[in-house]
Amino acid sequence: MRHLPRWPGPSLRDLPVMVRRFLRWYGAGPLHLLTMAGCFALAGYAAAELLPNNAVGIPVWFVGAVIGHDLILMPLYTLADRSVLVVFRHRPPNLPAVPWINYLRVPVALSGLLLLIWFPLIFRLPTRFPVTTTLSLDPYLWHWLAVTGALFLLSATAFALRLGAVRRGTRKRRTPGPGSAGAPGDVTPDPPGPPEPPGLPASRLEL
Amino acid sequence: MKSRLASRLAALMSSPPPPGPTRRSFWRSPVRGPWLTSVFGLVLLVSIPVMFVTGLLSYAAYNPDLSPVNDETPGKGLLGFYLFSWPTHPIWLYRLNQGVHVTLGLVLVPILLFKLWSVLPKLFEWPPLRSPAHALERLSLLALVGGAVFEFVTGILNIQTWYKFPGSFYPLHFYGGWVFIAGLVVHTTLKVPVMIRALRSRSLIAELRTDLARTRPEPPDAGYLAPVAPAEPTISRRGVLAFAGAGSALIALLSVGQSLGGPLRWTALLAPHGQDVSGPDDFQVNQTAASAGITESETGTAWQLTLGGETGAGTAPMVLNRAGLLRMEQYTASLPIACVEGWSTDNQAWAGVRLRDLARLAGITRPSSVLVQSLERGGAFSQVVLSAGQIMDPLSLLALRVNGADLTPDHGYPARVIVPASPGVHCTKWVASLTFRD
Repeated sequence: MRHLPRWPGPSLRDLPVMVRRFLRWYGAGPLHLLTMAGCFALAGYAAAELLPNNAVGIPVWFVGAVIGHDLILMPLYTLADRSVLVVFRHRPPNLPAVPWINYLRVPVALSGLLLLIWFPLIFRLPTRFPVTTTLSLDPYLWHWLAVTGALFLLSATAFALRLGAVRRGTRKRRTPGPGSAGAPGDVTPDPPGPPEPPGLPASRLEL
Repeated sequence: MKSRLASRLAALMSSPPPPGPTRRSFWRSPVRGPWLTSVFGLVLLVSIPVMFVTGLLSYAAYNPDLSPVNDETPGKGLLGFYLFSWPTHPIWLYRLNQGVHVTLGLVLVPILLFKLWSVLPKLFEWPPLRSPAHALERLSLLALVGGAVFEFVTGILNIQTWYKFPGSFYPLHFYGGWVFIAGLVVHTTLKVPVMIRALRSRSLIAELRTDLARTRPEPPDAGYLAPVAPAEPTISRRGVLAFAGAGSALIALLSVGQSLGGPLRWTALLAPHGQDVSGPDDFQVNQTAASAGITESETGTAWQLTLGGETGAGTAPMVLNRAGLLRMEQYTASLPIACVEGWSTDNQAWAGVRLRDLARLAGITRPSSVLVQSLERGGAFSQVVLSAGQIMDPLSLLALRVNGADLTPDHGYPARVIVPASPGVHCTKWVASLTFRD
């Protein structure tokens, strides 16, 4: 009963002993049980019509959707992100103190996002598409590559501007740290923030 | 035996979490936390109902209750409780509805991905099951997460005409949507109080002013989201919001042109119908004469329209050729083509005979419906039933010409139906017969 959420409605004390005992075993209030019953009734009603379409394929898709996203896609991109951070951490710190990871992370992720959505068109998988629409399947790969190129170009420009701003900033005021280091959107120099709080590991600033 | 199993299970549940993702210290992202999750949750809480309503409206637009011919999900039962006779005005109603449904769905992909990323530690919470109530909550997540991904994937594959999902799109997306909504209702009921509390815990304005250097993790919460052993931040919380927003904006920018049409169509560089079709007066199609198996011998001089009127007294079919139709009073209607897949065209200048005039010619002044049959054989939409309101609308035509020229074979020559605010697949091409009912 530790995590028992508070529910509006009659207090548990007003209920008969049997009901109270049941709810203690159940682990939540009567409205919780009612909501759950309603949800599973509706989901079950819809599933009863959904499943006959393909009694094997559809459950596989539902469970596969969860596994494919939570246990495959997400660990993969997390691993990729961490790997890049680790690999470049061991490089000699010959760059000025600007956090660089987001200038790589953002274009890669946005390009990957477009690929995730449009891969059937990009890889020309719907072979009937040209026959039914009179449109060609050829441009999508080039469009995706061009957009990817533009994203990297934009990101590189933003990074160069940021580097320049930081260099000018450090030359101007030697004592404070390299100003505010912000999100990928922070292309324009921020208003001069307070000096870098002490105790931040140098590795982050140098990379 | 049973009690030993139960006690062992109880011991497992009360034991400390095994090493790995079930330990909170495994999750180190310093930006994960209830506030960030709640921001994404709020965006979805506002947007998903729009997706749901536009989806239900899109289904209503097929007038599934009018005839079994129109119904792609005949077993819907109570789930069709809301159906109504689909209107013909405003003429851009279906165009707007589907443009919103598809474009918003695409735009929500990064928001959904960030939301799921932000709550991943919850999947591994320990103990995995605290009580029967908790077990039911976790089971409902299969409807929620499985349903969400299922709906997004089937929708996104369908608009690219890559039909790799396990069945016909309509029942899958329709019933799948209801399963998803069932999961969402539970999730919303349980989490809205948590969300409101989390949103109040930090000021959005303050977060938008907090740069990376000043980003501190949210304090560890009972909800398992914020890290107990956070790593050094590499992105600020406003950076995460900008990241997701940039993803949504990019997707919108590269796809909305296929629904806006006109001079903006080319901007849809990554959307199925972002390419211009050849010819200044030409426009997009989703079924060509070749793909529908329509041959020139069927549409040439031999073509005849069979006009039937089913009255109580019996049937009285008559035939009309194209020249005969052209001799009838011609009307023009400026109407778009709007597809369930979200793309649409600008208004095209259609010319032809009004459906209401054809009904009268068939001997029926107050038709209740018309069965439109195409020369196309087979195919889910080779025949359709239109409602009384759709027949009687003065803009509803059996079109013979478009944009000042005869229909091309791909646009339905010799004759096609065009009805305002109706899904494209209900504007039947290569019409062979019209059977009006009293």
